[in-house]
Amino acid sequence: MNDMLKIADREFHSRLLVGTGKFASNAAMDAAMDASGAEIVTVALRRVDIENENDNMLAAIDRARYLLLPNTSGARDAAEAVRLARLARAASGIHWVKLEVTPDPYYLLPDGEETLKAAQTLVQDGFVVLPYMNADPILARKLQDVGCATVMPLASPIGSNQGLKMRASIEIIIEQATVPVVVDAGLGAPSHAAEAMEMGADAVLVNTAIATAENPVKMAIAFKLAVEAGRMSYQAGLAAQSTHASASSPLTGFLRNEQK
Amino acid sequence: MALLKINGIDKTYASGAMPATLADLLTQMNIDAATVVAEIDGAIVPRQAFADTRLADGMTLELVRFVPGG
Repeated sequence: MNDMLKIADREFHSRLLVGTGKFASNAAMDAAMDASGAEIVTVALRRVDIENENDNMLAAIDRARYLLLPNTSGARDAAEAVRLARLARAASGIHWVKLEVTPDPYYLLPDGEETLKAAQTLVQDGFVVLPYMNADPILARKLQDVGCATVMPLASPIGSNQGLKMRASIEIIIEQATVPVVVDAGLGAPSHAAEAMEMGADAVLVNTAIATAENPVKMAIAFKLAVEAGRMSYQAGLAAQSTHASASSPLTGFLRNEQK
Repeated sequence: MALLKINGIDKTYASGAMPATLADLLTQMNIDAATVVAEIDGAIVPRQAFADTRLADGMTLELVRFVPGG
């Protein structure tokens, strides 16, 4: 199979990106990541708890196998996002960043204006920027034009598991994009991921639906297969829809005599 | 008395008891330096410079690390 996902100067076999949040343990996270086949995994940056012992989650991630994609979650404006991205680069040596600017804590919807501003700064600063964004085709073009490596429209609010609520807008984004489109946030079931891939999305990012499933490993496998199926379906080209039935079996040679 | 503001919390030290360097501070706090990135007064301190970064009364420090996230 020579169907690689190319982001910036890197190529990936897997079109499923996974988030590392909300798993019951580091061991559960590691097992699900392994089962998902993902090559890109997201992480967040937070203050060290100076009063208590700190868990080192990075110890559970095989850095040779996974590209760590730090996010700027928690940023409420462009300045905070840029600061987080630079700290993440200093911490990891990685100049890739999942840019998120979400001032609204209830729906966690991204601020397009601030995201664009931060993207400009970070691209100029040498970052490979993957911006989380509203499914706004105009904004997608602007982010693309300032040099973002992907666009990552949300399917529905983060962690909501509602699926492709923004379908029609994402279709327009896919049609116009010259960079990979990664559908991020809200994909709650493998069928949602397959639907996004079938529409022509280049990849999907999933966290909550895997991490909080009853069996995260099995769910990771289900998403992996769904992403592959959806991709294959897109490449195969869906058969046309029609409003009326179109028989699959011959309409001749019935076991009855035609009445005159 | 000397004061460091670390992650929003004021830490006071008796005179002479404040750690001399950023590396010393992390050791004293039992934090693995390899997992941390630091900012002092708004400027990022590269990890290689932890041992040479001298602390002074009144500094504001941010110590951050990677955590699980989506």
